[in-house]
Amino acid sequence: MRIDSLGRRTLLFVASITFLAYVLAPIAWLVSSSFQSESEITSKPPHWLPHQPTLENFTTIFTAKDQVVTYETRKEGDPATGGFIPSTAKYLLPSMWNSFVVALAVVVLNLAVSIPAAYAMAKIRFIGRSTSIYFMLVTRVIPDIALVVPFFLFIQKLGLLDNLLSLIITYLAITVPFSVFVLVSYFESLPDELDKAARVDGCSRLQTLIRVFLPLAMPSLVAVVLFTFLTSWNEFLLALMFTQTPASQTMPIIVASFTSDFTISFSFINAAGVLAIIPPVILAIIFERHIVSGLTAGAVKG
Amino acid sequence: MNGRHLTARRALLTSVSTYDQKTALLFLFPMLAVLAVVAVFPVLYSLWISLFDLKLSRPHRTPFVWFDNYAHVFQDQMFWDSVARTASFTLMSVTAIMLIALLMALLLNEEFRGRRFLSAMLLIPWAIPYVANGLMWKWIYDSGYGALNGLLYQLDFIDKYMVWLGDSAKTLPLIANAFIWKEVPLATILLLVTMKSIPADLYGAAKVDGADLWQRFIHITLPSLKPGFALVMIYETMMAVRHFDLFFILTEGGPAGASHVLAWDVYVETFRKLSFGTGAALAYIMALVTFVLAYSIIRTIGKKL
Repeated sequence: MRIDSLGRRTLLFVASITFLAYVLAPIAWLVSSSFQSESEITSKPPHWLPHQPTLENFTTIFTAKDQVVTYETRKEGDPATGGFIPSTAKYLLPSMWNSFVVALAVVVLNLAVSIPAAYAMAKIRFIGRSTSIYFMLVTRVIPDIALVVPFFLFIQKLGLLDNLLSLIITYLAITVPFSVFVLVSYFESLPDELDKAARVDGCSRLQTLIRVFLPLAMPSLVAVVLFTFLTSWNEFLLALMFTQTPASQTMPIIVASFTSDFTISFSFINAAGVLAIIPPVILAIIFERHIVSGLTAGAVKG
Repeated sequence: MNGRHLTARRALLTSVSTYDQKTALLFLFPMLAVLAVVAVFPVLYSLWISLFDLKLSRPHRTPFVWFDNYAHVFQDQMFWDSVARTASFTLMSVTAIMLIALLMALLLNEEFRGRRFLSAMLLIPWAIPYVANGLMWKWIYDSGYGALNGLLYQLDFIDKYMVWLGDSAKTLPLIANAFIWKEVPLATILLLVTMKSIPADLYGAAKVDGADLWQRFIHITLPSLKPGFALVMIYETMMAVRHFDLFFILTEGGPAGASHVLAWDVYVETFRKLSFGTGAALAYIMALVTFVLAYSIIRTIGKKL
């Protein structure tokens, strides 16, 4: 038993505060400036908390589709956002929808591919088992940037440039190996007796997988769904290469287009940034335990 | 050894039921097909492309040039400069990530009220998109109204606002800082798992022998953490060498090429100069470098373990 001495408690307290400051201060500043108007955001020294909080930046995003943006309107625009409403503002919400559709499709396909493969690798004795495991290992270290050129030419030939399908296909490449590793290590931790018992009772392999293993593997399935969803939601490089118009551009691409435009107010960009991080942050906090155990399983195996 | 291996193999051959063999292949087929199409094919195809002088600005004449693209890359001073920048970015990032993650893992390894809250908050940087991370730091570093200037000014460290990302001496460390902030959580989680697997008896025995807290840390905690450190080092090195997003959002390779790293070079060659042959050659070199780095780290650390 440890004695909670005053010194230890003080040390832990100071360390915890430093920890939280490091992790949360940048985010807090992002959120705080998203509620500030253009005139407030340009004060020196900065207002760490908004003196006159405004929702203007967010309403601009949500009403952007009804606005016609010309040089004149941008110049005369309302003072809260400095009038610098980017002409691409109306694409932010549709791009989030695109990101969501892609992420959802990748999650479903990823599960359909990974679950049977992981079960076979973990529980079935067959010829070629170790070969397939090595194959997986190698595919995991291929950097995404090395895939960019061949993917681009390939997708161009298929006529899938500027099509969400191109993203769905390529995101499978970057998510499937990791999912399989997480699932293999989880299936391996379940006793072989379960498998044998189900087989003696006359279950086929497929029935064993669906009726016995899937319900037990729920925690790791949750982790896999989250990783796949977040990877797809956050992915930037491939989306930058394969999408060209707002019809297929995903959230990171539109947000990045704001940051490279010097005329756009940072208060507006920050509001877009806050919208972009809300879904991942909520998922991370709700499913913290699943994520941590999934990450360690996937990393240790890989 | 070999004979035993063969016998084991024969035993496996006879013991595997045809039903199991068939089912396993059937179960594996979708994954193998997906990986063949989206991972194996592109890697081979890009090797092929890298042997052509393929420029999208000149789509009808694409002569086969053997290894000319590679020769050009190696003769290009820009390439060696970007290798040096990538190396320094990687070294800074990985060192700092391991140090900060070690401190955070030591804290989270203690039992105290609020520990659960800290570990939940830790996941936030890990979960958010790199693009959002990039725009957040771009705003923090802003030379006109950013938080870094504001904070240092209010604390009297500087007497006037400074240029940060635009100063070529500071660019790489500042981008590394944004990268470190986002990568530290995963490293912390990996180190924490290794820490938790250290048997408590070890500490008990050391206490009996009269080792103080510092000695226990040096002689038990650090050595036991080696596998965790190895894992973090390999993973983060691979991530840092290939990193692209922050360079795009924060500086686009600037100022004056100060953040022109390898990944940025691939992008410029391919999508700005439209010379796909050179781009593919560069990307191939990068993939090999990553692979060799990961392998050599495994070998050197693996030996010391």
